[in-house]
Amino acid sequence: MAVEEILDQRIIDLNMKAKNKEEVLSYLAELLKRAGYIDDLNGYLQDVYLREQEGITGIGNHVAIPHGKSDSVKQVGIAIGKTDQMIEWESYDGEPSNLVFLFAVPRNSEGTKEHLRLISELAGKLGNGVTLEKLRMAKNYTELTNAFL
Amino acid sequence: MIKILAITACTAGIAHTYIAREKLENAAKEMGDFIKVETQGSIGVENELKPEEIREADIILIAADIRVNKDRFMGKAVVEIPISMIMKSPKGVISKIHQKLGK
Repeated sequence: MAVEEILDQRIIDLNMKAKNKEEVLSYLAELLKRAGYIDDLNGYLQDVYLREQEGITGIGNHVAIPHGKSDSVKQVGIAIGKTDQMIEWESYDGEPSNLVFLFAVPRNSEGTKEHLRLISELAGKLGNGVTLEKLRMAKNYTELTNAFL
Repeated sequence: MIKILAITACTAGIAHTYIAREKLENAAKEMGDFIKVETQGSIGVENELKPEEIREADIILIAADIRVNKDRFMGKAVVEIPISMIMKSPKGVISKIHQKLGK
Protein backbone atom coordinates (compact mmCIF):
# COMPACT_ATOMS: atom_id res chain seq x y z
CA MET A 1 0.00 0.00 0.00
CA ALA A 2 1.25 3.47 -0.82
CA VAL A 3 0.86 5.12 2.57
CA GLU A 4 2.64 8.22 1.31
CA GLU A 5 -0.32 8.82 -0.97
CA ILE A 6 -2.50 9.42 2.04
CA LEU A 7 0.00 10.73 4.56
CA ASP A 8 0.51 14.33 3.41
CA GLN A 9 3.17 16.28 5.31
CA ARG A 10 1.15 19.48 4.94
CA ILE A 11 -1.57 18.09 7.19
CA ILE A 12 0.65 16.45 9.80
CA ASP A 13 2.04 18.16 12.89
CA LEU A 14 3.81 16.01 15.45
CA ASN A 15 4.53 19.01 17.68
CA MET A 16 1.04 20.35 17.88
CA LYS A 17 0.24 22.97 20.48
CA ALA A 18 -3.24 22.35 21.80
CA LYS A 19 -4.70 22.06 25.27
CA ASN A 20 -8.09 20.52 24.66
CA LYS A 21 -10.19 18.62 22.16
CA GLU A 22 -11.70 21.77 20.62
CA GLU A 23 -8.27 23.23 19.96
CA VAL A 24 -7.04 19.95 18.47
CA LEU A 25 -10.01 19.65 16.10
CA SER A 26 -9.89 23.33 15.05
CA TYR A 27 -6.15 23.22 14.46
CA LEU A 28 -6.22 20.02 12.39
CA ALA A 29 -9.27 21.21 10.43
CA GLU A 30 -7.38 24.41 9.67
CA LEU A 31 -4.51 22.34 8.24
CA LEU A 32 -7.02 20.48 6.04
CA LYS A 33 -8.47 23.80 4.89
CA ARG A 34 -5.10 25.34 4.04
CA ALA A 35 -4.07 22.27 2.05
CA GLY A 36 -7.33 22.32 0.11
CA TYR A 37 -8.89 19.13 1.51
CA ILE A 38 -11.95 20.99 2.75
CA ASP A 39 -13.51 24.22 1.56
CA ASP A 40 -15.79 25.09 4.47
CA LEU A 41 -14.04 24.90 7.83
CA ASN A 42 -17.10 25.39 10.02
CA GLY A 43 -19.29 23.08 7.97
CA TYR A 44 -16.69 20.36 8.24
CA LEU A 45 -16.19 20.84 11.98
CA GLN A 46 -19.95 20.63 12.51
CA ASP A 47 -19.98 17.23 10.84
CA VAL A 48 -17.00 16.11 12.93
CA TYR A 49 -18.75 17.11 16.16
CA LEU A 50 -21.91 15.38 14.96
CA ARG A 51 -19.93 12.14 14.65
CA GLU A 52 -18.37 12.75 18.07
CA GLN A 53 -21.87 12.79 19.54
CA GLU A 54 -22.73 9.46 17.93
CA GLY A 55 -20.02 7.52 19.69
CA ILE A 56 -16.56 7.23 21.15
CA THR A 57 -13.57 8.00 18.91
CA GLY A 58 -10.82 7.48 21.49
CA ILE A 59 -9.70 3.98 20.46
CA GLY A 60 -7.36 3.40 23.39
CA ASN A 61 -3.55 3.61 23.78
CA HIS A 62 -3.89 7.44 23.78
CA VAL A 63 -5.04 7.51 20.15
CA ALA A 64 -8.19 9.21 18.85
CA ILE A 65 -9.79 8.98 15.41
CA PRO A 66 -12.40 11.73 15.03
CA HIS A 67 -13.92 11.78 11.56
CA GLY A 68 -16.22 13.88 9.48
CA LYS A 69 -18.20 12.68 6.50
CA SER A 70 -19.02 16.02 5.03
CA ASP A 71 -20.05 17.90 1.90
CA SER A 72 -17.27 20.32 2.82
CA VAL A 73 -14.65 17.69 2.01
CA LYS A 74 -13.11 18.01 -1.45
CA GLN A 75 -10.43 15.37 -1.10
CA VAL A 76 -10.06 12.29 1.10
CA GLY A 77 -7.35 12.76 3.70
CA ILE A 78 -6.14 12.26 7.26
CA ALA A 79 -4.75 15.13 9.31
CA ILE A 80 -2.48 13.91 12.10
CA GLY A 81 -1.50 15.77 15.22
CA LYS A 82 0.50 14.89 18.29
CA THR A 83 0.57 17.00 21.44
CA ASP A 84 3.00 16.99 24.34
CA GLN A 85 0.27 16.96 26.91
CA MET A 86 -2.61 14.53 27.19
CA ILE A 87 -5.98 15.74 25.90
CA GLU A 88 -9.25 14.80 27.60
CA TRP A 89 -10.99 12.55 25.09
CA GLU A 90 -13.78 9.99 25.55
CA SER A 91 -12.18 6.62 24.93
CA TYR A 92 -12.73 2.88 25.14
CA ASP A 93 -10.02 2.49 27.76
CA GLY A 94 -10.91 5.61 29.74
CA GLU A 95 -7.53 7.20 29.00
CA PRO A 96 -6.89 10.62 27.42
CA SER A 97 -5.30 11.00 23.98
CA ASN A 98 -2.28 12.78 22.56
CA LEU A 99 -2.18 11.34 19.05
CA VAL A 100 -5.11 12.32 16.86
CA PHE A 101 -6.05 11.17 13.36
CA LEU A 102 -8.71 13.44 11.88
CA PHE A 103 -10.32 11.77 8.87
CA ALA A 104 -11.81 13.87 6.08
CA VAL A 105 -14.20 11.93 3.87
CA PRO A 106 -16.67 13.40 1.37
CA ARG A 107 -20.34 12.58 1.96
CA ASN A 108 -20.67 11.55 -1.64
CA SER A 109 -17.89 9.02 -2.00
CA GLU A 110 -18.39 8.21 -5.69
CA GLY A 111 -15.11 8.64 -7.55
CA THR A 112 -13.01 8.42 -4.39
CA LYS A 113 -13.12 4.66 -3.94
CA GLU A 114 -9.38 4.15 -4.33
CA HIS A 115 -8.52 6.73 -1.72
CA LEU A 116 -11.23 5.44 0.59
CA ARG A 117 -9.72 2.00 0.28
CA LEU A 118 -6.31 3.33 1.32
CA ILE A 119 -7.93 5.14 4.25
CA SER A 120 -9.71 1.99 5.38
CA GLU A 121 -6.50 -0.03 5.17
CA LEU A 122 -4.70 2.59 7.18
CA ALA A 123 -7.52 2.73 9.73
CA GLY A 124 -7.37 -1.04 10.08
CA LYS A 125 -3.74 -0.83 11.08
CA LEU A 126 -4.76 1.37 14.00
CA GLY A 127 -6.38 -1.76 15.44
CA ASN A 128 -2.94 -3.31 15.83
CA GLY A 129 -1.19 -2.71 19.15
CA VAL A 130 2.32 -2.93 17.69
CA THR A 131 1.54 -0.34 15.01
CA LEU A 132 0.01 1.96 17.62
CA GLU A 133 3.11 1.79 19.76
CA LYS A 134 5.33 2.65 16.77
CA LEU A 135 3.05 5.54 15.86
CA ARG A 136 3.18 6.85 19.40
CA MET A 137 6.98 6.81 19.31
CA ALA A 138 7.24 8.44 15.86
CA LYS A 139 9.08 11.75 15.99
CA ASN A 140 9.00 12.65 12.31
CA TYR A 141 7.25 11.97 9.03
CA THR A 142 9.51 9.08 8.04
CA GLU A 143 8.99 7.26 11.33
CA LEU A 144 5.28 7.87 11.03
CA THR A 145 4.99 6.40 7.54
CA ASN A 146 7.27 3.49 8.50
CA ALA A 147 4.96 2.64 11.38
CA PHE A 148 2.22 1.88 8.87
CA LEU A 149 4.32 -0.43 6.70
CA MET B 1 -10.42 -24.21 17.89
CA ILE B 2 -13.68 -22.70 16.79
CA LYS B 3 -14.63 -21.30 13.42
CA ILE B 4 -15.93 -17.76 13.64
CA LEU B 5 -17.36 -15.81 10.76
CA ALA B 6 -17.82 -12.15 11.53
CA ILE B 7 -19.18 -8.95 10.04
CA THR B 8 -18.11 -5.50 11.16
CA ALA B 9 -20.02 -2.33 10.29
CA CYS B 10 -20.00 1.10 11.92
CA THR B 11 -22.12 4.19 11.33
CA ALA B 12 -19.70 6.17 9.15
CA GLY B 13 -18.07 3.11 7.60
CA ILE B 14 -14.70 4.79 7.61
CA ALA B 15 -12.64 3.72 10.59
CA HIS B 16 -14.21 1.56 13.32
CA THR B 17 -15.33 -1.09 10.83
CA TYR B 18 -11.72 -1.73 9.82
CA ILE B 19 -10.14 -1.31 13.23
CA ALA B 20 -12.59 -3.86 14.62
CA ARG B 21 -11.68 -6.27 11.84
CA GLU B 22 -7.98 -6.01 12.70
CA LYS B 23 -8.68 -6.43 16.41
CA LEU B 24 -10.87 -9.49 15.84
CA GLU B 25 -8.33 -11.12 13.55
CA ASN B 26 -5.50 -10.57 16.03
CA ALA B 27 -7.55 -11.76 19.00
CA ALA B 28 -8.71 -14.93 17.23
CA LYS B 29 -5.16 -15.70 16.12
CA GLU B 30 -3.87 -15.31 19.68
CA MET B 31 -6.60 -17.58 20.97
CA GLY B 32 -6.00 -20.20 18.32
CA ASP B 33 -9.36 -19.79 16.60
CA PHE B 34 -10.21 -19.45 12.93
CA ILE B 35 -11.85 -16.22 11.90
CA LYS B 36 -12.90 -14.50 8.72
CA VAL B 37 -14.22 -10.96 8.92
CA GLU B 38 -16.40 -9.32 6.29
CA THR B 39 -16.38 -5.52 6.39
CA GLN B 40 -19.39 -3.47 5.38
CA GLY B 41 -18.15 0.10 5.08
CA SER B 42 -18.00 3.13 2.81
CA ILE B 43 -16.20 1.16 0.12
CA GLY B 44 -18.88 -1.51 0.22
CA VAL B 45 -18.60 -5.16 1.21
CA GLU B 46 -15.09 -6.59 1.36
CA ASN B 47 -13.83 -10.06 2.22
CA GLU B 48 -17.34 -11.39 1.68
CA LEU B 49 -18.42 -14.49 3.59
CA LYS B 50 -19.15 -17.33 1.17
CA PRO B 51 -22.07 -19.77 1.48
CA GLU B 52 -19.80 -22.79 2.03
CA GLU B 53 -17.86 -20.89 4.71
CA ILE B 54 -21.09 -19.95 6.43
CA ARG B 55 -22.18 -23.59 6.35
CA GLU B 56 -19.02 -24.69 8.13
CA ALA B 57 -18.92 -21.90 10.74
CA ASP B 58 -19.50 -22.59 14.43
CA ILE B 59 -20.81 -19.10 15.01
CA ILE B 60 -21.68 -15.91 13.17
CA LEU B 61 -20.58 -12.78 14.99
CA ILE B 62 -22.11 -9.50 13.90
CA ALA B 63 -20.41 -6.47 15.41
CA ALA B 64 -22.35 -3.55 14.04
CA ASP B 65 -23.89 -0.20 14.84
CA ILE B 66 -26.05 -0.29 11.74
CA ARG B 67 -28.51 -2.87 10.45
CA VAL B 68 -26.89 -5.88 8.84
CA ASN B 69 -28.88 -8.26 6.68
CA LYS B 70 -28.97 -11.73 8.26
CA ASP B 71 -30.79 -13.65 5.52
CA ARG B 72 -27.62 -15.59 4.71
CA PHE B 73 -27.40 -16.93 8.26
CA MET B 74 -30.73 -18.74 8.57
CA GLY B 75 -30.37 -21.69 10.92
CA LYS B 76 -26.95 -20.59 12.18
CA ALA B 77 -26.03 -19.46 15.69
CA VAL B 78 -25.72 -15.69 15.44
CA VAL B 79 -24.32 -13.31 18.08
CA GLU B 80 -25.01 -9.62 17.61
CA ILE B 81 -23.09 -6.99 19.52
CA PRO B 82 -22.31 -3.28 19.20
CA ILE B 83 -18.93 -2.60 17.61
CA SER B 84 -17.77 -0.90 20.82
CA MET B 85 -17.45 -4.32 22.48
CA ILE B 86 -14.82 -5.30 19.93
CA MET B 87 -13.06 -1.96 20.32
CA LYS B 88 -12.89 -2.50 24.10
CA SER B 89 -12.24 -6.19 24.46
CA PRO B 90 -11.97 -8.39 21.37
CA LYS B 91 -10.61 -11.33 23.37
CA GLY B 92 -13.38 -10.96 25.94
CA VAL B 93 -15.94 -11.31 23.17
CA ILE B 94 -14.29 -14.41 21.75
CA SER B 95 -14.03 -15.94 25.25
CA LYS B 96 -17.77 -15.40 25.67
CA ILE B 97 -18.37 -17.17 22.39
CA HIS B 98 -16.32 -20.13 23.59
CA GLN B 99 -18.44 -20.25 26.74
CA LYS B 100 -21.64 -20.03 24.75
CA LEU B 101 -20.60 -22.86 22.48
CA GLY B 102 -19.21 -24.91 25.35
CA LYS B 103 -15.98 -25.42 23.41
